[in-house]
Amino acid sequence: MKSIWENYKTDVAYDELMYSEFQSRPVSHQLCRYLDTLKKDDIEKRKNAAELAIMEMGISFTVYSDEGNIDRAWPFDIIPRIIDAREWRIIEKGLKQRLTALNCFISDVYGEQAFIKAGKMPSEIVNSSKNFRKECVGMKPKHNVWANICGTDLVRDKDGIMYVLEDNLRVPSGVSYMLENRVITKRVFPELFQDIDILPIDDYPTHLHDMLTSIAPHQNDQVTCAVLTPGIYNSAYFEHAYLAQQMGAQLVEGNDLVVNDDDCVYMKTIRGLEKVDVIYRRIDDDFLDPEVFRKDSTLGVPGLMRAWKAGNVALANAPGAGVADDKVVYAYVPEMIRYYLNEEPILPNVPTYLCSNPEHLEYVLEHLAELVVKPANESGGYGMLVGPHATAKEVENFREIIQKDPRNYIAQPTLSISTAPTLCKSKLEPRHIDLRPFILQGEDTFVTAGGLTRVALKKGSLVVNSSQGGGSKDTWIINMEDK
Amino acid sequence: MLSRSAERIYWLARYVERTENIARLVNVHMNLLMDLPKGVEMGWRQLILINGAEHTFYEKYNVANERNITRFLLADDTYSGSLLSSLTAARENIRTSRDLLPDEAWEQVNEMYLFAKKNLDTLANRRHRVIFLNEILKGCQRFTGLLSGYMSHNDPYAFIRLGRNIERADMTTRILDLASLLLSESRSDEVRQYETILWMNVLKALNALLMYRQQKHSRINGDDVLNFLLQDSNLPRSVSCCISEISECIIKLPNNDQLPEKIIELQAYVQTINNEETTQAQLRVILDDLQNKIGSLHNAINHNWFSIVTG
Repeated sequence: MKSIWENYKTDVAYDELMYSEFQSRPVSHQLCRYLDTLKKDDIEKRKNAAELAIMEMGISFTVYSDEGNIDRAWPFDIIPRIIDAREWRIIEKGLKQRLTALNCFISDVYGEQAFIKAGKMPSEIVNSSKNFRKECVGMKPKHNVWANICGTDLVRDKDGIMYVLEDNLRVPSGVSYMLENRVITKRVFPELFQDIDILPIDDYPTHLHDMLTSIAPHQNDQVTCAVLTPGIYNSAYFEHAYLAQQMGAQLVEGNDLVVNDDDCVYMKTIRGLEKVDVIYRRIDDDFLDPEVFRKDSTLGVPGLMRAWKAGNVALANAPGAGVADDKVVYAYVPEMIRYYLNEEPILPNVPTYLCSNPEHLEYVLEHLAELVVKPANESGGYGMLVGPHATAKEVENFREIIQKDPRNYIAQPTLSISTAPTLCKSKLEPRHIDLRPFILQGEDTFVTAGGLTRVALKKGSLVVNSSQGGGSKDTWIINMEDK
Repeated sequence: MLSRSAERIYWLARYVERTENIARLVNVHMNLLMDLPKGVEMGWRQLILINGAEHTFYEKYNVANERNITRFLLADDTYSGSLLSSLTAARENIRTSRDLLPDEAWEQVNEMYLFAKKNLDTLANRRHRVIFLNEILKGCQRFTGLLSGYMSHNDPYAFIRLGRNIERADMTTRILDLASLLLSESRSDEVRQYETILWMNVLKALNALLMYRQQKHSRINGDDVLNFLLQDSNLPRSVSCCISEISECIIKLPNNDQLPEKIIELQAYVQTINNEETTQAQLRVILDDLQNKIGSLHNAINHNWFSIVTG
């Protein structure tokens, strides 16, 4: 019988679990020993069990179209990705440090702009940012925290170092998949949870709820929280419903809410109108309030900004927090950490060239074919160029696009992002992965134990986004101390 | 509880109940037809008559035979009253109400839907159809059971019970409609000969045969069956019992306005139906009237809780 590891290549990139085809890293010894006891069709059976569970639990994306609604099952790989708890504690500290600095920065941007005045960042960057909202100037959200929920994308390069790739501060998604992945893995490999000391993750909804309660405008016993969703046509609807359910919060759509003359937000209930204190909104700023932002928005709530500015409702994340979710601003985060916290950054950034900087631009244009170029304000892996994987025509095309609008592009060296063994047709093959931990900041700061590991299921692909053929894995932070 | 959620949950319960009712109806009818001699005027057509779907049916099919009618009632996703359509609507409603219900409720409905989708092609075959219908019946029962075991008896639960009992009462009147066809003066001697079997069939369609036997201790006759299914205060699918359940929910819910009085009137109306001297024509009028009253109760619920005026 052939081994599932046959011809496993570890020379493409840093592999999270394996030194080589024949040797596992210490973190994965126990997993690998276990996998060796399984026959090939055992593995296949587990995989099928996982797929069935995903179907039955209804973990899906829904793609709505004129032809009908298509539920796409969440693509999941059953082989977990593992990180040593000792390493994780450092990453966790780094993530808290980073979000704290980012929140200082956002407060500063909508306040006195000391960072800019100190010459740490050109003012044009903020002024020209799509996500800078002048309506937010002078606001002081509770605890001075604007980005209460952050999903930070981490990748490990060939050197084994974890880099921060981007900070998602608008409406980061994926946390429900992280939680469901664990539920499925427990069903598929219950034996492993007996022998391996894997940190639990299912307390996230409790922490989310605590955080939301901590930002309520008043400190009554009863805080009414609601999750504001764009509705079932949104691909992350599953997550909105899931989180509301797990927190015991109301799942509301824009037209369930009204803002009355008293500038308070109410929801329409069977008892009449009931006041809402905290809204975890999963709608972009643009659509939040047609009185202030896009007039044609039917997803939002007219008057919501009024209520927020009057201090009668808390919004998480606060409107305008997206100003720091900009790949140009990203380049300045290490400086923010030094400036606001007087600390050295624990987690490094990926070196970033700003096309708005003439020297950087020149370098970028000369080295386009080696670089990854990204638009500053997109998410979901859209509109980017991966130089080494692009055709000459695509590269030339991008050259024009960048020169037209340099402010909106950044470039980074193409990282050789790490791989992890992934089940491909009854065999394990290395596939590139990233990691999105979720960080909560309100009165306290909390980081998920691990996060959502996304995997590029296509051979050689570096794009892990689920909208572009990516899947995901369960992520284990394991305690190795007494081993 | 949001008005929108209340509405979705109410409809969820109606659609699950409808799914179950269609499954039981087709199942029982199939068993009945196996017992009747060929050529008796009872046939598959009756099933589309009581669902008021004759017109819709003949737009798509030429012959009212077993194959076409079961296909129409079970698997036709273009007919809104089919089992598949009801189940799809139930799933869509629960998918958008997950914040209020136990996970298992969603999983149950989702599994049932996936099961139905997968087995649609097998339904032309009687044996497969029996298995299919039994599985659906069990699934609906599991849904009801797990809600009663896992869910607080809160407002959402009241809306579930409201929806379920409105749908149930409606179905019972439809099945009694079917019974009224049996009372037809012009019924053939052959049908008269099989009358007991037909009345048993009516009871079975509401899962009420055993309870009837325990209650009445007598041979099955039409008047008693009608009486039992309309007015018995203990049989869960009798019209009277459904109305009592609806009444309990309405009294518990906030802002119930005129509804408690309305429901007392309805109960009084049901209790005073005297079927001993009714002709078939009169019975049909009474049942029509009853269906309209249930419809108007639904409208009142809708007006009262689902369409909140803001200001």
